[in-house]
Amino acid sequence: MPYKLFDVSKEIPERKKHIYVKHCSDPKEDLPHCNSKTIPGSMTERGCAFAGVKGVITGAIKDVVHVVHSPIGCTSYGYGAKRYPTTPDLPNGEKFPIPDFNLRYILGTDLQESDVVFGGVKKLKQSILEAAKEFPEANAIYTYSTCTTGLIGDDMDAVVKELSEELDKTVLAFNAPGFSGPTQSKGHHVGNYTLFENLVGTKEPPATTPYDVNLIGEYNIDGDLWLLKSYLEEMGINVLSTFTGDCCHDEICWMHRAKLSLVRCQRSATYIAELIEEKYNVPYMNVDFFSTEYASENLRAIGKFFGLEEEAEKVIADRMAKVKDELEFYKEKLQGKKVFIFSGGPKSWHLSKPLEKELGMDTVAVSSLFEHKDGYEKMKDRVKEGTLIIDDPNSLELEEIIEQYKPDLILGGIKEKYLVHKLGVPSIMIHSYENGPYIGFEGFVNLAKDMYNYVYNPVWDLIEFEENPNPQFNDSITENVKKAAEEESK
Amino acid sequence: MSDINVMEKERTVTINPLKTCQPLGAMFAVTGIRKGIPLVHGSQGCSTFVRYSLSKHFREPSEIAVTSLHEDAAVFGGRKNLIEGIINLALRFKPELIGVITTCSSEIIGDDVIGFIKTAQQQLTEQLGEEKSKKINIIPISTPSFVETHLKGYDNALNALVTHQAQPGETNEKINVVPGMVNPGDIREIKHILGMMNLEAIILTDTSDPFDSPLRPSKAEMLPYYPKGGTSVEEIADSANSTATISLCHYASSGGETLEKKYGVKSSIGPFPVGIQNTDEFLRSLKNLTGVKIPEELLDERGILIDAMADLSSRYLAGRKVAIYGDPCMTAGIARFVGELGMEPSVVCTGAKSEEFVNEMKTVSREIGSSIDVMVGQDLRALEVYLQENPVEVMMGNSDGRLIARYLDIPLVRFGFPVFDRVGYHRNPIIGYNGGLNLINLLTNTVLEKIYEPVTHWKLQQ
Repeated sequence: MPYKLFDVSKEIPERKKHIYVKHCSDPKEDLPHCNSKTIPGSMTERGCAFAGVKGVITGAIKDVVHVVHSPIGCTSYGYGAKRYPTTPDLPNGEKFPIPDFNLRYILGTDLQESDVVFGGVKKLKQSILEAAKEFPEANAIYTYSTCTTGLIGDDMDAVVKELSEELDKTVLAFNAPGFSGPTQSKGHHVGNYTLFENLVGTKEPPATTPYDVNLIGEYNIDGDLWLLKSYLEEMGINVLSTFTGDCCHDEICWMHRAKLSLVRCQRSATYIAELIEEKYNVPYMNVDFFSTEYASENLRAIGKFFGLEEEAEKVIADRMAKVKDELEFYKEKLQGKKVFIFSGGPKSWHLSKPLEKELGMDTVAVSSLFEHKDGYEKMKDRVKEGTLIIDDPNSLELEEIIEQYKPDLILGGIKEKYLVHKLGVPSIMIHSYENGPYIGFEGFVNLAKDMYNYVYNPVWDLIEFEENPNPQFNDSITENVKKAAEEESK
Repeated sequence: MSDINVMEKERTVTINPLKTCQPLGAMFAVTGIRKGIPLVHGSQGCSTFVRYSLSKHFREPSEIAVTSLHEDAAVFGGRKNLIEGIINLALRFKPELIGVITTCSSEIIGDDVIGFIKTAQQQLTEQLGEEKSKKINIIPISTPSFVETHLKGYDNALNALVTHQAQPGETNEKINVVPGMVNPGDIREIKHILGMMNLEAIILTDTSDPFDSPLRPSKAEMLPYYPKGGTSVEEIADSANSTATISLCHYASSGGETLEKKYGVKSSIGPFPVGIQNTDEFLRSLKNLTGVKIPEELLDERGILIDAMADLSSRYLAGRKVAIYGDPCMTAGIARFVGELGMEPSVVCTGAKSEEFVNEMKTVSREIGSSIDVMVGQDLRALEVYLQENPVEVMMGNSDGRLIARYLDIPLVRFGFPVFDRVGYHRNPIIGYNGGLNLINLLTNTVLEKIYEPVTHWKLQQ
């Protein structure tokens, strides 16, 4: 039986098709059912399409102003939601005058009841004009529709068209109201298409080289991008544009000029790589940099594409020398530890094998919030016989997994982390990391170190109060008490 | 000179809000109920963003369900989602109370939430039988996101809870306390004060344990996990029979007013007991409402705070300008305390509009004898721009101002919600004399570390 229904989900038997136990002899099509609507009231960990576009795709861009067209909540929650640091450096050698701009400000229309009744277009226009005035440094203005504006039907496309002309500045509308699509993945999709259709091909880079790449789907979580960039630059490769970690608005406009696109997060950003390939003949390559083995393999593939094989080997050798001993130490310590990876999307297939192969761990379960079929195929491909693969696990299922599979560690999100702790199991934040970056060679050591620090923290041995910590002593007392009681009864 | 200068928002656009929408406040209130689960009738972001915010601040689980509205619901209504959501939640989690919390989308769609709840209840009775299904209380809480703020959502939830659950019976000689959106440390401090006065209380609602729960797997309720504590459904029912209700915040007084109107339970509002005078007033109103004496031990605690103020405030704090931002109730309380320390709350800023806040700031201004710039219905960007022109020595507020403080190079003493870039703030009170002690320590240590240490470190020798 490849599919499994958890006891806690017997009242919602539709869940069964979302939970698959890998059997190598199963046909290829046997996969968890995915990318469909969550069962209401099931305590999902999923988010909305607005989170997908602002929280993942556009929030990392360093020089644009974001105006959320919504009642105040979406604006408040869109503020500094993720850890994506930026430098003030711009491609023309200048500095963006407001440091940490993408983390510092969020703007919104704060819609009121009267706006809901009479429409919010006027307020949106005024807000965009004020945004331009408040932050004249910003190179573009991005606006977002939300549940309210989707339902009341404000024509945001017309507003941004009008104001782009009036302000002589790019104003974009991202039409991904929270209710659209089953998960945040819908927002990724809208983000990709909106940026491609409006920006790519509209500007030329200050300079080009024969070694220009787009690094797509790399959001610089906790500095991931900066590590990857150092490898590529040492090989002689120039990152012309990132999509979208530490990038500026203009970089997106000239993505068509790269020689190759590298797709890092293949769930949230393959769309734009495909669109660029289709329209501008820029080929794309899926890349995976989690762990030393995948990082090496993929740097070699990039080296091969550009004829920079030797340079790639140099970088690999240099980094391997740096991390080898530490990784050996962690492998010894983490050997046999059972891990459950609950990622948003691709990290479940990125990490399952490296944790086993390079750190000797045992991946007992993998799951994802918003993966699609292709992602689950990769997940299935990379896990061993008997591993659980779960689509959109809810918190009760999470509890049952802990009870049944007794993982030593869970890699998940902040919403799951503290529940997992309450059940006595350590949990690491895998979406935005604990002490990252986690990518590449040094990043893999950081991840191993965090896992070691969590699993071996003394707290897990101190959880319960022991009335009689010495069992021998304990036994002798019981014996004595028994004897005394017996004698007394005589 | 003693006056205030009210400064209202000059822009249409909001930049870095000092408020969020209603549903968060309702989810907060329902979390304080023993085996109570918030069920958000909206998109998944409406639950996920709130869970994310609460977990960031409290570092605790935050179990909130959602009806997952999508395009079909936008067109045909959310009937199916809500009924199915209630039934799934009831069957799998066996809660004692489900708070059905609306959002912008379900309010705009115009779902008949009360009708849908009735249908769900009927179906549950068919599935579980009368006895079991009766134990699951399902309360509609209307919280349109485009009206007022999260504070109104908290108030609406509280009002819905007592409206639907309070049951008149024998008088219980208890006192109801509506603490507002405060931290576990604050609720524990209120319980400590009431305990010293030998008063039994019903806290509406008691988030202290749910938002600060022990890690003890052997004692935890699992499958489903429920945090320790919370106000029981029976206690909420019994709130109709209490001697009085004290609502610590003006924004959260509707529940108390409903209990007064329907069951004659006296309602008393504020002040938010931060600092000396507000806490004194809180004790006096407890005494007046119940007739109990204020014990010596409590006055000794007051004396310890007075001792700390005498030792520290003239030497390190007096005359220093402070900017304070946050919700109107806490901000007003903190401003008064800062005044009691001889400091100057030169600017206070809130995201929510509140007449009481303006009046309270008038009082503080009179007490300190200097003018206060009062920003109401404003945002953090407005405060930032103001501070660029009118610098202060210390900022007090939540972590959302952390980058503003950093780039203005003004030390930030944290309080309120959310605080995610420092630890322990949810556990340490700001309420009561002990809360005052905590605040004066935070303020003074910040001044010592950021103002004295870098320039005149020798002054710290003794």
